[in-house]
Order: sequence, then structure tokens, then C-alpha cells
Amino acid sequence: MKKLVIIPAYNEQGGIEKTVRDILEHAPDFDYVVVNDCSTDETLDVCRRNGFCVLNLPANLGIGGSVQTGYVYAWRNGYDIAVQFDGDGQHNARYLDAMADKLIRDQLDMVIGSRYIKKEGFQSSGIRRVGIRYFTGLIRLVTGKKITDPTSGMRMVGRDIIGIYARNYPKDYPEPESVVAILKKGRRVDELPVQMNARQEGISSISPQKSVYYMIKVSLAILLAAVRR
Amino acid sequence: MSLRIQILIAVLVLLAILGIANMVRKETLDIKFALSWLTVGVVVLILDIFPGIMTYLVHLFGIELPVNMMFFFGFCFTLYLVFALTVKVSRQSEQLKRLTQEIALLEQGVQKENPDQSADSK
Repeated sequence: MKKLVIIPAYNEQGGIEKTVRDILEHAPDFDYVVVNDCSTDETLDVCRRNGFCVLNLPANLGIGGSVQTGYVYAWRNGYDIAVQFDGDGQHNARYLDAMADKLIRDQLDMVIGSRYIKKEGFQSSGIRRVGIRYFTGLIRLVTGKKITDPTSGMRMVGRDIIGIYARNYPKDYPEPESVVAILKKGRRVDELPVQMNARQEGISSISPQKSVYYMIKVSLAILLAAVRR
Repeated sequence: MSLRIQILIAVLVLLAILGIANMVRKETLDIKFALSWLTVGVVVLILDIFPGIMTYLVHLFGIELPVNMMFFFGFCFTLYLVFALTVKVSRQSEQLKRLTQEIALLEQGVQKENPDQSADSK
């Protein structure tokens, strides 16, 4: 069974090497691909120097377009399982095998690594948790499914969803919306408790000024995804 | 409307039409887009030469001042144009995204086949 880790990276020169080493060490069954989203720092050089497998985007596409590139790669290279994994050291590769086991054993279409089942590890700031809980509620309202960590960027999908995402994936702030899209298609999604780390390198893509726009845009996107067929 | 302003408007519109036609000739402006602008130019020119049409239309719509009608229709037209452009931009950004992704995938495929020639272009 072919398994791929998709690592979107925008200006992650400080964290990308550690991230890839973490995967090589703790999830040796997985292949990986770094998607360099036209970083302005040394991310690409670090990858090339280490001989990492890189998809180098010649223009900046944002997180959605980057991740989707990984899904297209996974689809064309015949991967059965693909998992998104942040390039900034927030995610831990030691959970990947457990996520794959759960995906296969429970015959799921997606497994999300959730910080909020066991509430261990880095829990994000209070104000963000309020926002995340709001999205949990909204998604439950439109799909009937409780997703405790809808903004988690650590999510594993099977071949079927790889194909769906390769064709269609939201451009910006894609996480909650993309889950709703496949729940609405009747696919099975579940979560696995994981611990995450506070980000060590790089900065969050969501600044305080953008957070209001983020809330409105994602809410609208969830509602749209809910009525889309 | 005084004859002087009529002539001035006619000259300006004609210049604009010529300018647009020239851009189409040099292929800096797509004829598809030029068409709507040329239509606007011709309509303004007709209204300028025959101000009676304006007066008639103003009475027809029950608008008090001809200038208000110009503002109203001008505004509607601009709104439509801006909207049409945002639709176009959305479609093009999707096309650009696909192109960018394909380039990255192609480049990776080439690199895999000739790993020694890793001449990086940033």
C-alpha cells in the first residue's frame, strides 16, 4: 500500500528539515513530498541541499493550491493514502501509522488528527479555540457530524478523496470547508487524538486583522459547501 | 447643450474610438473587450450629435435632468463591467493555479529522471 505525506511549505527554512527528518524516522512506510509555495526564504535551497523530494510552485498559490498540488501528485503516482502535514514542526510524525491503521480498520475516507479529544499538547490560544468550537458547531449543524478539530491541518485520506481533492479543493482557509464537502458527499470522517506542538518557526497565516475575514469567509464557505451537490 | 461642448465631446469620443481601434490593431486589447467600449463610444457619439434623443428618453423614463440619466446609465454600465471582470479574474486565477501546479509536477518529473542536472532556477 503506497502512502504519501504532503508537506505544504511557505517560508519554512527553519522547520522543513526537522519535519522531513521526523517523517523519515517515525513514519518510514510513508513517502513524502514537500510543496514549496514559492517561498521567499531559503526553503527551496534547504530542500535541494538535502535532496528532499520537492514540488516547486513557480507562483505563490496559498495553502489550498499547494496542498492540492500534493493531491494531484498522489493521484497520478497511484498512492492509496495521502496525509497533509505542516512543514513548521507543529505536527508529530509518530501518529501517522496510527492514523493509517484507523483509516483502514474503520473503513474511513478521512482521519483528522485532533488536538481536542484528549486535550493534550499545544491547544492554541483561547480566542482561537472559541473560533474552532464555533466551526465545530456550524459543521455539526449542517452535516450532523461532530468534528472537534475542523481546522486541523493534519488529515489523512484514502484514494477516493485524493481524487476528489485533486479535482476540487478550496483555495484559501481550506480545512473546515473541505471536510464539509466530503461529509456532504456521504463519505466517512473520524478523528484520532494527537498532540501538536506550538509552532517553532514561521508565522501563522491568520493574523488578528484577517481573523474577522477568516470567520466570515469560512462560515460562508461551509454553508455553500453544505448546499452544493 | 451648446455647439461648442457638442463638438468637444464628439472630438474626445472620436479620439477614444480611434485609440481603442489602434490598440485592437496592435493586438494589445482583445477585440472581445474592445467591442463593448466601442459600443459605448458610438452611443455617446449618437447622443451627442442628436441631443433630441436624450430629451426624448429623459421624458420617457420620467427623469428630471438629462445629466441624471447619464449618471444612472453610466453607473449601471460600470457596475456590470466590474462584475464581468471579477468573474473573468476568478476563472483566470483557477486556470493560473492549474498551470502553476502542472509546471511544478512536470519539473519534479524531469528532475527525477535526470537527478544529476539539478541546475536550480529560483
